[in-house]
Amino acid sequence: MPAILIDNLSFAYPGGEPVLQGVSLAVEQGEMLAIVGPNGGGKTTLLRIILGLLGGYSGRVEVCGLPPREAQRRGLVGYVAQRQSAELAFPISARQAVAMGAWRMLSAWRREPREVHTLAAECLERVGATAFADEPVGRLSGGQLQRVVIARALASRPKILALDEPLTGVDAPGQKQFARLIRTLHRDLGLTILMVSHDLRAVATGVGGGGTGAGCDRVACLRRTLHFHAAPHGITPQVLAEVFQHDLADMFDLPDVHVHAHSAEECRRDGNGAKSEK
Amino acid sequence: MKTFDFLFGDDAAMWWAPVAAGLGIAVQCALLSVLTVLKRLSFVGQGVSHAAFGGVGLAVVLGFGAVDSLEGGQGAVGAAGYLLIVGGFCVTTAMLIAWLSDRRGVSADTAIGILLVAAMALGALLLHLHRLHAPPGVRTPNVEEVLFGSLTVVGWADAAAAWGCAAAVGLVLWGTRRGLLFWAFDESAAEAAGVPTRRVRLVLMTLLALVIVVSMRLAGVVLATALLVLPGAAALRLSHRLARVMMLSVVVSVLGVAMGLVASFEWNLPPGPCIVTVLAGLFLVTMGAGRGGK
Repeated sequence: MPAILIDNLSFAYPGGEPVLQGVSLAVEQGEMLAIVGPNGGGKTTLLRIILGLLGGYSGRVEVCGLPPREAQRRGLVGYVAQRQSAELAFPISARQAVAMGAWRMLSAWRREPREVHTLAAECLERVGATAFADEPVGRLSGGQLQRVVIARALASRPKILALDEPLTGVDAPGQKQFARLIRTLHRDLGLTILMVSHDLRAVATGVGGGGTGAGCDRVACLRRTLHFHAAPHGITPQVLAEVFQHDLADMFDLPDVHVHAHSAEECRRDGNGAKSEK
Repeated sequence: MKTFDFLFGDDAAMWWAPVAAGLGIAVQCALLSVLTVLKRLSFVGQGVSHAAFGGVGLAVVLGFGAVDSLEGGQGAVGAAGYLLIVGGFCVTTAMLIAWLSDRRGVSADTAIGILLVAAMALGALLLHLHRLHAPPGVRTPNVEEVLFGSLTVVGWADAAAAWGCAAAVGLVLWGTRRGLLFWAFDESAAEAAGVPTRRVRLVLMTLLALVIVVSMRLAGVVLATALLVLPGAAALRLSHRLARVMMLSVVVSVLGVAMGLVASFEWNLPPGPCIVTVLAGLFLVTMGAGRGGK
């Protein structure tokens, strides 16, 4: 059973143009998938549908074999939002912020059980944040806060980890550290990982394991429809031009992305389960 | 000191009710104040408290809240009816703010601005009509006492409501804390994690409205919100641990109300402005004490 199954998904906000049209893809268990595309291309909308935050779509969407709302209710998807959404003036420590991810384990009336403390400590250790676990969240650096947010997402013991623009505002050393962390979590926990980003280089490179990017297994290029869904090395100038709608020749100066002289159509035939409206 | 004369003199019994109510109001406001400041709900609180003016006008026209004598209080039935009508008006306003701001194209501050002025206009019209047509012997509440509060209209029914509300706020906050704190800290992440964020927001807005209604008889419509903002704002300057911040908020609030009531007794001033002035002074004192947070 795939971790995420999307079949002929279409969606439009009330009174608006379609944001997603006929999107079909399957994310296998334990896979790391990057969803890239331009602003307004439907990436975040697709993520919100998978998270169970948006309804009113046509087509089929299943998360671990369940409707997205049910999967959300069971905490099967850990979500890392863009960092800016947290209220950093909140008077809590990193440890307390992580424990919030296990909110379902808390009783309405009793004090926090010991298991929540243990779980929070484990998650902090896994992301390398134990050293600053008792620091107020307002005093953490950008990189430290990102680790805490990831630890919080892990606290619900999810099967899928979804990261929305995780590299926004992160400097180059921070991006390397993040990529290393994601690869470690992917390897050690066997999580299915979804990464939404407009930065193809940062999420797709490093397929061989030695690159600087997160090293996704596959990339889905999305601009209303799915233009590409295969291994990153199959991305061609034509695909990027279709998705981003301008010449991205400089994108091909990527250390681990080998550009073949295939047409976009050939890449789609070669890819795994790729479907497209074109 | 005049305060001792009031509290231990011949008419002491009638002045202990405002003191008891004031302390209950201090506790209930302090409990919500930290979240009000962190979630930037002070303008929402302002909108609800000003909208209460419309609720007061409605309550008075329906026969509740009109003052028959200057001895203060209006009996349990009168107070209950007043609180229900004004409370219902405020809760409805809070829900309308939430509903309007959930719709695309209507921002929260626009929704507040619309409802605030409309309710105040309604309240002013209704009070004016009551003044013109009130039965003999029934006094229409003075607009100043509605806007800025009064010790003489607060009775034991109000004190019971204040402490009941404080207990209810404490219980609800404790019982909903697992989702409430997550929502308050990171709304989008909480929503994605399955926290029923709309329900949480509604609960908080309802508590906000109830606390304002109970507070406004003593503090007045205009200043009731200050009791929801200043204690939490001061406490957040003093600590970065949530439990300690909540306790400090209660301490600051009780101190502010107690000292404000003393000033009101001593110089025959309306209690609301006295309390808020003291709280503002306490906040200024905490400005010099940073908590080291960013």
